[in-house]
Amino acid sequence: MIRLSPARRTAVQRFAPPLLVLLSVALIVLSKADSALVGALRRGASEFFSPALGLLSRPIEGGANLVRGASDWVEVYRRNEQLLRDNRRLLAWRQAALALAAQNAELRGLLKLVPEHALSYLSARVIADSGGAYAQSLLIDAGSADGVRRGEAVLGEGGLVGRIAGVGRHVARVLLLTDFNSRIPVFVEGKEPLRAILAGDNSSYPVLRFLPAKAPVEKGEQVVTSGIGGLFPPNLPIGVVSGVGGAGPRVAPYARVSETAYVRVVDYGLEHALPALAANGARGARPRSRSGASRER
Amino acid sequence: MTLQTLSLKKGRRVEAAAARLLPIATTAVAAILSVLPVPIPGYRGITPAFTLMAVFQWTVYRPDLLPPAALFLIGIGEDLITGAPLGTTALLLLLARTLVLGVRRFFGRRPFLFVWAGFIALSGAAMVFLWALNSLFDWALLEFHGTVFRLALTVALFPMASFLLGRTQRALLPAS
Repeated sequence: MIRLSPARRTAVQRFAPPLLVLLSVALIVLSKADSALVGALRRGASEFFSPALGLLSRPIEGGANLVRGASDWVEVYRRNEQLLRDNRRLLAWRQAALALAAQNAELRGLLKLVPEHALSYLSARVIADSGGAYAQSLLIDAGSADGVRRGEAVLGEGGLVGRIAGVGRHVARVLLLTDFNSRIPVFVEGKEPLRAILAGDNSSYPVLRFLPAKAPVEKGEQVVTSGIGGLFPPNLPIGVVSGVGGAGPRVAPYARVSETAYVRVVDYGLEHALPALAANGARGARPRSRSGASRER
Repeated sequence: MTLQTLSLKKGRRVEAAAARLLPIATTAVAAILSVLPVPIPGYRGITPAFTLMAVFQWTVYRPDLLPPAALFLIGIGEDLITGAPLGTTALLLLLARTLVLGVRRFFGRRPFLFVWAGFIALSGAAMVFLWALNSLFDWALLEFHGTVFRLALTVALFPMASFLLGRTQRALLPAS
């Protein structure tokens, strides 16, 4: 500990609080002005804390599994009945899917369609979750060393949860699609597919924006990624339209982020899309201007 | 003085010094607690402000052991991990400390309900402040109703946090 003379000590005690307040305000302004520098700081801090966070999130995950296990035991009979019912229904769907897949392959052959990029997946564990209502992001325990790159889509159980917004060596930040800064190009699959942007507003139900005027969006219609902009693969399931009116049609995401301890990062061969941007000069061309994806904090 | 009593005294001194770190340590633990993923639906939006609870408690009872520099560092650390605009939590904690320092003498030797009421007022102000700051940062009027639930949960959990912190304080720290 540093020993200070009493006079100096009173001086420090008097001036430290206002100085630190000023410093905090300066940092807020800085994080608004220079997101690159703050992003680098965040990456460093996430990297530094990730081993501890990874370790500490284990007992919580274990506890949750215990509770889930107990409730599974209680519901085992009812769950079994339901699964048997689902199984019968799904077998019928399987037949339908196989028939459609065969037909699809045949039609593709006839049309000489350019094959899509093959997707590859990488699973990662969620190690931190932003508390608070104003920043909706996750930290996962995979980074550039594992092949995770910025902009990649992230899937949870059931559908899209967000995209990679920052990458460290062994840790990455996922910007959730519910975050205020998230913008994802989508199709609303109604009678005819409609293009729109799915915009987060920190609520659990993101809003569809930039729909064609008087677009007939109805409750229950499915929303999927459109792949426009080339950053996201097309046709990843996102959710269903849960309500129309107010700020616009809202979407209930399929993926329940808070209940999944693991997510999957989708590698869509981004190298094909990004070198062109990099060649145009890193400053001028940002991926977001192309994809309509969001700006960053 | 024999060698034994000397080393005993030294041991006590080390113990006492470690105990003086208790407020900083528990506040840091509160910050970590608020970033850990908890598998409860909708929990993210309403994560209780654990750090604010610790800051309130220690600033009322042992402000000498929770210096502003520690609050600043803990706040910055929390912002870096959660992805909130850097500096917001630090600013919030520092302002909360200043506010509580101004009124803490009213809380001395009062019943707990009185202290709780003080915390309710502080966390209400803190939630409005955070909402305003984030709205300003994003230059848009952000949703407020999630914040109301967050406030309710924070206020409801405070008695337990206060009890636990008070218990550790009495067990480990001598009265100031």
